[in-house]
Amino acid sequence: MQNLRRISQGIFLLLFVFLFLQTESTGSDELGYPAKLFLDFDPLILLTTLLASHSAAKAFWLSIITVILTVILGRVFCGWVCPLGTLHNMVGALKKRDRKERTNWHRVKYLILIFLLTSSLFRLHLVGILDPISLLIRSLAIGVYPPFNLAVRSFFDTIYELDPPGLVNLTEWMYSGLKATVLAFKQPQFRQSFFIGVIFITILGLNFYEKRFWCRYLCPLGALLGLLSRFSILKRSVSEDCNECGACGGVCPGHASPDVKEGWRDSECYYCWNCDDICPNNAVHFGFMGKKTTPAMDLGTRRVFLSSLCGMVAVPLMRSIPGAGSAQLQPKLIRPPGSLAEHEFLRRCVKCGECMKVCTTNGLQPTLLEAGLEGIWSPVLVPRIGYCEYRCTLCGQVCPTGAIERLELEDKKKVRLGLAMVDKNRCLPWSHATPCIVCEEVCPTSKKAIWLEKAEVEDRNGNTLTVQRPRVDLSLCIGCGICETKCPVGGKAAIYVTNIGESRSEDNRLLLPESSGY
Amino acid sequence: MSRRNFLKKSAVVGAAYAVPGNFVTFARSVLAADPADLAVVKGVSPAKITEAAITALGGINKFISKGDIVVIKPNMAWDRVPEQAGNTNPEVVATMVKLCFEAGAKKVKVFDRPVNDPRRCYVQSGIAPAAKKLGADVDYVDDRKFKKMKLNGQVLDKWPLYTEVFEADKVINIPIAKDHGLARLTMSMKNWMGIMGGRRSKIHQRLDESLVDLAMFVKPTLTVLDAVRILTANGPQGGDLDDVKTLNTVIAGVDQVAIDSYGATLFGMQGKDLGYVRIAAKMGFGIMDLNQLNIKKVNIS
Repeated sequence: MQNLRRISQGIFLLLFVFLFLQTESTGSDELGYPAKLFLDFDPLILLTTLLASHSAAKAFWLSIITVILTVILGRVFCGWVCPLGTLHNMVGALKKRDRKERTNWHRVKYLILIFLLTSSLFRLHLVGILDPISLLIRSLAIGVYPPFNLAVRSFFDTIYELDPPGLVNLTEWMYSGLKATVLAFKQPQFRQSFFIGVIFITILGLNFYEKRFWCRYLCPLGALLGLLSRFSILKRSVSEDCNECGACGGVCPGHASPDVKEGWRDSECYYCWNCDDICPNNAVHFGFMGKKTTPAMDLGTRRVFLSSLCGMVAVPLMRSIPGAGSAQLQPKLIRPPGSLAEHEFLRRCVKCGECMKVCTTNGLQPTLLEAGLEGIWSPVLVPRIGYCEYRCTLCGQVCPTGAIERLELEDKKKVRLGLAMVDKNRCLPWSHATPCIVCEEVCPTSKKAIWLEKAEVEDRNGNTLTVQRPRVDLSLCIGCGICETKCPVGGKAAIYVTNIGESRSEDNRLLLPESSGY
Repeated sequence: MSRRNFLKKSAVVGAAYAVPGNFVTFARSVLAADPADLAVVKGVSPAKITEAAITALGGINKFISKGDIVVIKPNMAWDRVPEQAGNTNPEVVATMVKLCFEAGAKKVKVFDRPVNDPRRCYVQSGIAPAAKKLGADVDYVDDRKFKKMKLNGQVLDKWPLYTEVFEADKVINIPIAKDHGLARLTMSMKNWMGIMGGRRSKIHQRLDESLVDLAMFVKPTLTVLDAVRILTANGPQGGDLDDVKTLNTVIAGVDQVAIDSYGATLFGMQGKDLGYVRIAAKMGFGIMDLNQLNIKKVNIS
């Protein structure tokens, strides 16, 4: 059974990694693969999204399958499917023996779940921070994949430059193979790469303290599935042949105490069959008996109350940061095209980082506090890093929650992320009697939102020359930011976008409506 | 471009290839005797007019030899579909790839350093799929292959340029004729911006001189200006189909100044209206005065 389980874990991990790698533009309009598939099967996100935004993306109903599976087979998701669980298994394998005196913090994850559900009920959506699938995609996309790419690239670049005889042909051949398969099209760069990477390594590192620490004590999805698992039909039973030798105790990944007859924790079982495999007396059996074996875990009324209270208190606490989510104070909070209005956006976004992974220009970056604490790691467009490609709709295609709506190309081209304005002090033709039209050249709307005004200017020596000065037509600008990205004035660009005028907000407007009715 | 459209297009290209066997033999006998400086060919099939233009110049064998490594530089700088005339027509590029292989080229490389995302430009322009199908190497530019070169120009002294262009045996320039905010029009000479590395947008500060420096340094074997569709406004990327004018024309030749000078007439301008053409002509890089040229005009149905 162990081998069978490992094959299953391997297949799902490979599928996960494959979909992760495919979350990248190929140049066509459609992605071609369901990059967000694992998130679609996540019932925790379905539940919290329903609570927080009172609706959920259609694809999430697929997660009902996970629920049904758990009600029949128990927490098989944790033992056989979850890619993060598999990674924990792999890291845990580096540690020879599990800790003898194991922690009994199982209840912590249920309290975390209660905290998340309560805050969602009050429309604060924090689930993405701790949901294992969301956490894994974000950590890989932002924390792991960029340094991985950098390491591989630097390795091959170094050999290429050193050029040892006879070797370069071979390494270049390997390099092009890697480029075609696992490497990103261009080196991804993210703010907070290090921060998010360290959090991820810490979570994996907990395995050295105690194997599958995350799954046992922290994972909120595991908690939800654990609750469902209590009703499962497939149950473990131990026959009279058990002489309590304790062999199974050391191999249980969930620390479900299979070796203690009265202490067996049904909902902590991942259905890995390890105890069945190892039992020298063959006393352990799994079968569809529907026998309710163990009592529910006693979380303690006070603890439950306290964690819901925390969930409630978190709502005003996290939101009482001045300027959080307010366009007035966060003009650079430019959201991806198709994003819902800020409040609704935050109720949906699970910070999985799919949009940042897929963004062709790398312009989508994780926020830190620009959107408030609750909006941490949600996407923001940073035009100096990358702009929003005019004819690209990929972020909306991969967003699992609909926080970024999936738009048809023609609709997307009309969405305004903000407005560009010229910094005349830095602009070459405006201030320095030097020709430049780059922002106009790259402006993608047709007709162009940036137009050129001819002007006679004088340089220091009194020579007159004609320059063309860029002007922004605010009624046409969509705030895609390509002008800011490509502006040849280094450092602070001479033209920049802020979110004023964004389509998704009714308040954050600059121009009067075309026909105001008066 | 949708898959369906692409298939439709490929079918058209394919059909065009099937026909011209007889036509080419005919055209060769008529035109090859007296090779032109410029060939201006008009007709509805981009593939046919491209072939006819090369024939009018004396045939592809005059330019490409057996075993040559050929670089073809189209304009595929923008995330635009062929109908929008932001990039070179994919059929024109594909036809040149085909001709090069027919002349015995060992390798044909097609690339550009785009302004928009390279993946989207390569695919959406239709050029990468069309050229790949015929066996060309269509790779994205590799940052490591830009090397600082000594241009000794009036403005550009040293600049990183793409080494593959200079390592190739033959280089073919296949620009598209488009409107441009500063250069007024972008055609063959300006197409070489696509082999520049570094922060190339700086050259807009003295664009005309820089373009001449660049074009004089590259020295292509052959230039084919795509005017199947030209972009008359909101260039160089366009987007609005109302700005596109269908001329069903290609202009081929060796002298880029002559080609750009002729190209200007497609927009109701003259070569002397373009700063870089004027400067290049003055420096003796090519002929701007169309009266001094042997221009062969061909109409094919």
